[in-house]
Amino acid sequence: MYVVGETLKGHLDLLLLAILSEGPAHGYAVIESLRMRSEGVFDLPEGTIYPALHRLENQGLLSSQWSEDSGRRKRIYQLTPTGQKALTTHQAEWLKFSKAINTTVGI
Amino acid sequence: MAENQIQAYLRVLKRQFWIRGITDPESLAEVESHLLESVEAGMCQGLSVQEAEQQALERFGAVNIVVRTFEREGKDGMQKLLLALAVLMGFLIAYVDSRPTWDDTGITAGMMLLSSGLLTLLGYRRPWVIALAVGLWTPFYEMYLSGNFRLPGVILFPLLILLITSMGAYTGWAVRLGIRKTLNLA
Repeated sequence: MYVVGETLKGHLDLLLLAILSEGPAHGYAVIESLRMRSEGVFDLPEGTIYPALHRLENQGLLSSQWSEDSGRRKRIYQLTPTGQKALTTHQAEWLKFSKAINTTVGI
Repeated sequence: MAENQIQAYLRVLKRQFWIRGITDPESLAEVESHLLESVEAGMCQGLSVQEAEQQALERFGAVNIVVRTFEREGKDGMQKLLLALAVLMGFLIAYVDSRPTWDDTGITAGMMLLSSGLLTLLGYRRPWVIALAVGLWTPFYEMYLSGNFRLPGVILFPLLILLITSMGAYTGWAVRLGIRKTLNLA
Protein backbone atom coordinates (compact mmCIF):
# COMPACT_ATOMS: atom_id res chain seq x y z
CA MET A 1 0.00 0.00 0.00
CA TYR A 2 1.28 3.44 -0.91
CA VAL A 3 0.09 6.67 0.66
CA VAL A 4 0.42 9.37 -1.91
CA GLY A 5 -0.66 12.85 -2.91
CA GLU A 6 -3.11 14.82 -0.86
CA THR A 7 -3.38 12.21 1.91
CA LEU A 8 0.28 12.49 2.79
CA LYS A 9 0.69 16.15 1.95
CA GLY A 10 -1.43 17.26 4.87
CA HIS A 11 0.96 15.56 7.27
CA LEU A 12 4.21 16.20 5.45
CA ASP A 13 5.31 19.04 7.74
CA LEU A 14 4.98 16.82 10.80
CA LEU A 15 6.91 14.01 9.11
CA LEU A 16 9.74 16.26 7.95
CA LEU A 17 10.05 18.02 11.29
CA ALA A 18 10.03 14.67 13.10
CA ILE A 19 12.81 13.28 10.94
CA LEU A 20 14.92 16.39 11.36
CA SER A 21 14.35 16.44 15.12
CA GLU A 22 16.83 13.56 15.28
CA GLY A 23 19.61 15.64 13.81
CA PRO A 24 20.64 17.71 10.80
CA ALA A 25 20.32 16.00 7.43
CA HIS A 26 20.34 16.81 3.75
CA GLY A 27 17.30 16.35 1.54
CA TYR A 28 18.32 12.97 0.17
CA ALA A 29 18.81 11.57 3.67
CA VAL A 30 15.47 13.02 4.82
CA ILE A 31 13.68 11.36 1.91
CA GLU A 32 15.45 8.04 2.45
CA SER A 33 14.55 8.17 6.12
CA LEU A 34 10.93 8.92 5.26
CA ARG A 35 10.82 5.94 2.92
CA MET A 36 12.60 3.52 5.26
CA ARG A 37 10.71 4.44 8.40
CA SER A 38 7.38 4.08 6.65
CA GLU A 39 8.57 0.83 5.04
CA GLY A 40 7.86 2.29 1.62
CA VAL A 41 4.30 3.35 2.44
CA PHE A 42 5.01 7.07 2.13
CA ASP A 43 5.87 7.29 -1.51
CA LEU A 44 5.94 10.85 -2.82
CA PRO A 45 7.96 12.01 -5.81
CA GLU A 46 11.24 12.98 -4.17
CA GLY A 47 11.33 16.29 -5.99
CA THR A 48 8.20 17.46 -4.22
CA ILE A 49 9.89 17.22 -0.80
CA TYR A 50 12.34 20.05 -1.47
CA PRO A 51 9.75 22.81 -1.88
CA ALA A 52 8.25 21.69 1.43
CA LEU A 53 11.67 21.88 3.09
CA HIS A 54 12.16 25.37 1.62
CA ARG A 55 8.75 26.47 2.84
CA LEU A 56 9.52 25.24 6.36
CA GLU A 57 12.79 27.14 6.19
CA ASN A 58 11.00 30.29 5.07
CA GLN A 59 8.66 29.88 8.02
CA GLY A 60 11.67 29.75 10.32
CA LEU A 61 11.06 26.15 11.36
CA LEU A 62 14.23 24.91 9.68
CA SER A 63 17.58 26.45 8.89
CA SER A 64 19.96 25.26 6.22
CA GLN A 65 23.56 25.59 5.20
CA TRP A 66 25.65 24.18 2.41
CA SER A 67 28.48 21.82 3.22
CA GLU A 68 30.82 19.65 1.20
CA ASP A 69 30.78 15.90 1.60
CA SER A 70 32.72 13.45 -0.60
CA GLY A 71 33.37 16.22 -3.10
CA ARG A 72 29.68 17.07 -3.44
CA ARG A 73 27.90 20.12 -2.08
CA LYS A 74 24.92 19.30 0.09
CA ARG A 75 22.36 21.53 1.72
CA ILE A 76 21.98 20.43 5.32
CA TYR A 77 18.71 21.18 7.09
CA GLN A 78 18.37 21.58 10.81
CA LEU A 79 15.41 22.08 13.12
CA THR A 80 15.28 25.53 14.75
CA PRO A 81 13.92 26.13 18.26
CA THR A 82 10.71 27.42 16.61
CA GLY A 83 10.62 24.24 14.56
CA GLN A 84 10.95 22.16 17.71
CA LYS A 85 7.95 23.97 19.21
CA ALA A 86 5.97 23.49 15.99
CA LEU A 87 6.82 19.79 16.04
CA THR A 88 5.50 19.46 19.59
CA THR A 89 2.27 21.21 18.54
CA HIS A 90 1.90 19.05 15.41
CA GLN A 91 2.52 15.90 17.43
CA ALA A 92 -0.17 16.83 19.96
CA GLU A 93 -2.62 17.62 17.15
CA TRP A 94 -1.83 14.35 15.42
CA LEU A 95 -2.31 12.37 18.63
CA LYS A 96 -5.71 13.96 19.17
CA PHE A 97 -6.70 13.47 15.54
CA SER A 98 -5.57 9.85 15.28
CA LYS A 99 -7.22 9.01 18.61
CA ALA A 100 -10.49 10.46 17.34
CA ILE A 101 -10.26 8.53 14.07
CA ASN A 102 -9.43 5.27 15.85
CA THR A 103 -12.31 5.71 18.25
CA THR A 104 -14.69 6.54 15.43
CA VAL A 105 -13.78 3.60 13.23
CA GLY A 106 -13.58 1.24 16.20
CA ILE A 107 -9.91 0.28 16.21
CA MET B 1 29.97 14.70 -25.28
CA ALA B 2 26.41 13.37 -25.26
CA GLU B 3 24.05 14.64 -22.63
CA ASN B 4 23.05 12.03 -20.04
CA GLN B 5 19.52 11.64 -18.65
CA ILE B 6 20.27 13.66 -15.54
CA GLN B 7 21.73 16.55 -17.52
CA ALA B 8 18.75 16.50 -19.88
CA TYR B 9 16.33 16.53 -16.93
CA LEU B 10 18.18 19.42 -15.28
CA ARG B 11 18.19 21.38 -18.52
CA VAL B 12 14.41 21.06 -18.87
CA LEU B 13 13.91 21.79 -15.18
CA LYS B 14 16.07 24.91 -15.39
CA ARG B 15 14.11 26.15 -18.40
CA GLN B 16 10.79 25.55 -16.65
CA PHE B 17 12.02 27.24 -13.49
CA TRP B 18 12.95 30.27 -15.55
CA ILE B 19 9.68 30.31 -17.47
CA ARG B 20 7.64 30.06 -14.29
CA GLY B 21 9.61 32.74 -12.49
CA ILE B 22 11.42 30.44 -10.05
CA THR B 23 14.82 32.02 -9.86
CA ASP B 24 16.50 30.43 -6.88
CA PRO B 25 19.80 28.93 -8.16
CA GLU B 26 20.22 26.98 -4.92
CA SER B 27 17.14 24.90 -5.69
CA LEU B 28 18.63 23.68 -8.94
CA ALA B 29 21.98 22.93 -7.29
CA GLU B 30 20.15 20.97 -4.61
CA VAL B 31 18.20 18.97 -7.17
CA GLU B 32 21.42 18.16 -9.04
CA SER B 33 23.14 17.06 -5.86
CA HIS B 34 20.16 14.85 -4.97
CA LEU B 35 20.00 13.21 -8.39
CA LEU B 36 23.73 12.47 -8.48
CA GLU B 37 23.56 10.90 -5.04
CA SER B 38 20.55 8.88 -6.10
CA VAL B 39 22.39 7.63 -9.19
CA GLU B 40 25.37 6.63 -7.05
CA ALA B 41 23.07 4.73 -4.70
CA GLY B 42 21.48 2.92 -7.64
CA MET B 43 24.90 1.93 -8.99
CA CYS B 44 25.87 0.62 -5.56
CA GLN B 45 22.81 -1.65 -5.79
CA GLY B 46 24.22 -3.10 -9.00
CA LEU B 47 22.35 -1.05 -11.59
CA SER B 48 24.06 0.18 -14.73
CA VAL B 49 24.60 3.93 -15.11
CA GLN B 50 21.60 4.25 -17.43
CA GLU B 51 19.37 2.17 -15.14
CA ALA B 52 20.50 4.12 -12.08
CA GLU B 53 19.80 7.43 -13.82
CA GLN B 54 16.38 6.24 -14.91
CA GLN B 55 15.53 5.05 -11.40
CA ALA B 56 16.74 8.33 -9.88
CA LEU B 57 14.57 10.34 -12.25
CA GLU B 58 11.51 8.14 -11.76
CA ARG B 59 11.80 8.53 -7.99
CA PHE B 60 12.38 12.26 -8.25
CA GLY B 61 9.23 12.83 -10.26
CA ALA B 62 8.26 14.24 -13.63
CA VAL B 63 9.49 17.76 -14.34
CA ASN B 64 6.00 19.24 -14.52
CA ILE B 65 5.02 17.80 -11.12
CA VAL B 66 8.21 19.00 -9.47
CA VAL B 67 7.99 22.47 -10.98
CA ARG B 68 4.34 22.82 -10.01
CA THR B 69 5.21 21.96 -6.42
CA PHE B 70 8.09 24.43 -6.41
CA GLU B 71 5.77 27.01 -7.89
CA ARG B 72 3.16 26.42 -5.23
CA GLU B 73 5.38 26.09 -2.21
CA GLY B 74 8.78 27.39 -3.09
CA LYS B 75 10.44 30.70 -2.54
CA ASP B 76 8.61 33.34 -4.44
CA GLY B 77 11.15 36.11 -4.68
CA MET B 78 10.45 36.74 -8.36
CA GLN B 79 6.74 37.24 -7.69
CA LYS B 80 7.48 39.71 -4.91
CA LEU B 81 9.95 41.57 -7.10
CA LEU B 82 7.48 41.83 -9.98
CA LEU B 83 4.75 43.06 -7.66
CA ALA B 84 7.10 45.66 -6.18
CA LEU B 85 7.98 46.76 -9.72
CA ALA B 86 4.28 47.02 -10.56
CA VAL B 87 3.65 49.28 -7.58
CA LEU B 88 6.70 51.37 -8.47
CA MET B 89 5.65 51.66 -12.11
CA GLY B 90 2.13 52.63 -11.07
CA PHE B 91 3.44 55.28 -8.75
CA LEU B 92 5.88 56.68 -11.34
CA ILE B 93 3.17 56.87 -14.00
CA ALA B 94 0.86 58.60 -11.54
CA TYR B 95 3.58 61.08 -10.60
CA VAL B 96 4.48 61.91 -14.22
CA ASP B 97 0.81 62.17 -15.15
CA SER B 98 0.19 64.61 -12.32
CA ARG B 99 2.87 67.08 -13.47
CA PRO B 100 1.33 70.33 -14.76
CA THR B 101 3.57 70.22 -17.85
CA TRP B 102 2.40 66.69 -18.78
CA ASP B 103 -0.70 66.53 -20.88
CA ASP B 104 -0.16 63.48 -23.08
CA THR B 105 -2.84 61.06 -21.92
CA GLY B 106 -2.09 58.69 -24.78
CA ILE B 107 1.46 58.10 -23.60
CA THR B 108 0.25 57.62 -20.02
CA ALA B 109 -2.26 55.01 -21.16
CA GLY B 110 0.36 53.35 -23.35
CA MET B 111 2.82 53.18 -20.44
CA MET B 112 0.17 51.55 -18.27
CA LEU B 113 -0.71 49.04 -20.96
CA LEU B 114 2.92 48.19 -21.66
CA SER B 115 4.12 47.92 -18.08
CA SER B 116 1.15 45.73 -17.03
CA GLY B 117 1.70 43.47 -20.02
CA LEU B 118 5.44 43.23 -19.49
CA LEU B 119 5.11 42.31 -15.82
CA THR B 120 2.77 39.38 -16.48
CA LEU B 121 4.80 38.35 -19.51
CA LEU B 122 7.83 38.17 -17.22
CA GLY B 123 6.03 35.71 -15.00
CA TYR B 124 3.69 37.37 -12.52
CA ARG B 125 0.95 34.81 -12.13
CA ARG B 126 -2.08 36.94 -11.18
CA PRO B 127 -2.89 39.52 -13.86
CA TRP B 128 -5.62 41.21 -11.82
CA VAL B 129 -3.12 42.03 -9.07
CA ILE B 130 -0.80 43.66 -11.61
CA ALA B 131 -3.73 45.59 -13.10
CA LEU B 132 -4.58 46.98 -9.67
CA ALA B 133 -0.96 47.63 -8.65
CA VAL B 134 -0.18 49.57 -11.82
CA GLY B 135 -3.53 51.22 -12.33
CA LEU B 136 -4.84 52.37 -8.96
CA TRP B 137 -2.28 55.08 -8.26
CA THR B 138 -3.08 57.44 -11.13
CA PRO B 139 -6.82 58.02 -10.57
CA PHE B 140 -6.59 58.29 -6.81
CA TYR B 141 -3.51 60.52 -6.88
CA GLU B 142 -5.21 62.79 -9.38
CA MET B 143 -8.43 62.88 -7.37
CA TYR B 144 -6.40 63.58 -4.22
CA LEU B 145 -4.59 66.48 -5.90
CA SER B 146 -7.75 67.97 -7.40
CA GLY B 147 -9.89 67.26 -4.33
CA ASN B 148 -12.58 66.02 -6.68
CA PHE B 149 -14.18 62.88 -5.29
CA ARG B 150 -17.58 63.42 -6.90
CA LEU B 151 -19.62 60.80 -8.73
CA PRO B 152 -19.48 59.51 -11.40
CA GLY B 153 -15.80 60.39 -11.87
CA VAL B 154 -14.71 58.73 -8.65
CA ILE B 155 -15.99 55.42 -10.07
CA LEU B 156 -15.58 55.83 -13.81
CA PHE B 157 -12.03 57.20 -13.88
CA PRO B 158 -10.49 54.30 -11.89
CA LEU B 159 -12.59 51.81 -13.86
CA LEU B 160 -11.36 53.19 -17.17
CA ILE B 161 -7.74 52.99 -16.05
CA LEU B 162 -8.22 49.50 -14.62
CA LEU B 163 -9.66 48.47 -17.98
CA ILE B 164 -6.44 49.59 -19.66
CA THR B 165 -4.12 47.92 -17.15
CA SER B 166 -6.25 44.75 -17.18
CA MET B 167 -6.01 44.60 -20.97
CA GLY B 168 -2.24 44.87 -20.73
CA ALA B 169 -1.89 42.42 -17.85
CA TYR B 170 -4.15 39.76 -19.35
CA THR B 171 -2.53 40.14 -22.78
CA GLY B 172 0.93 39.56 -21.28
CA TRP B 173 -0.42 36.63 -19.29
CA ALA B 174 -2.06 35.10 -22.37
CA VAL B 175 1.09 35.50 -24.45
CA ARG B 176 3.07 33.82 -21.71
CA LEU B 177 0.62 30.93 -21.55
CA GLY B 178 0.81 30.64 -25.33
CA ILE B 179 4.60 30.45 -25.19
CA ARG B 180 4.44 27.78 -22.50
CA LYS B 181 1.92 25.79 -24.47
CA THR B 182 3.97 26.07 -27.65
CA LEU B 183 7.02 24.80 -25.80
CA ASN B 184 4.83 22.07 -24.28
CA LEU B 185 5.45 23.32 -20.77
CA ALA B 186 1.92 24.03 -19.60
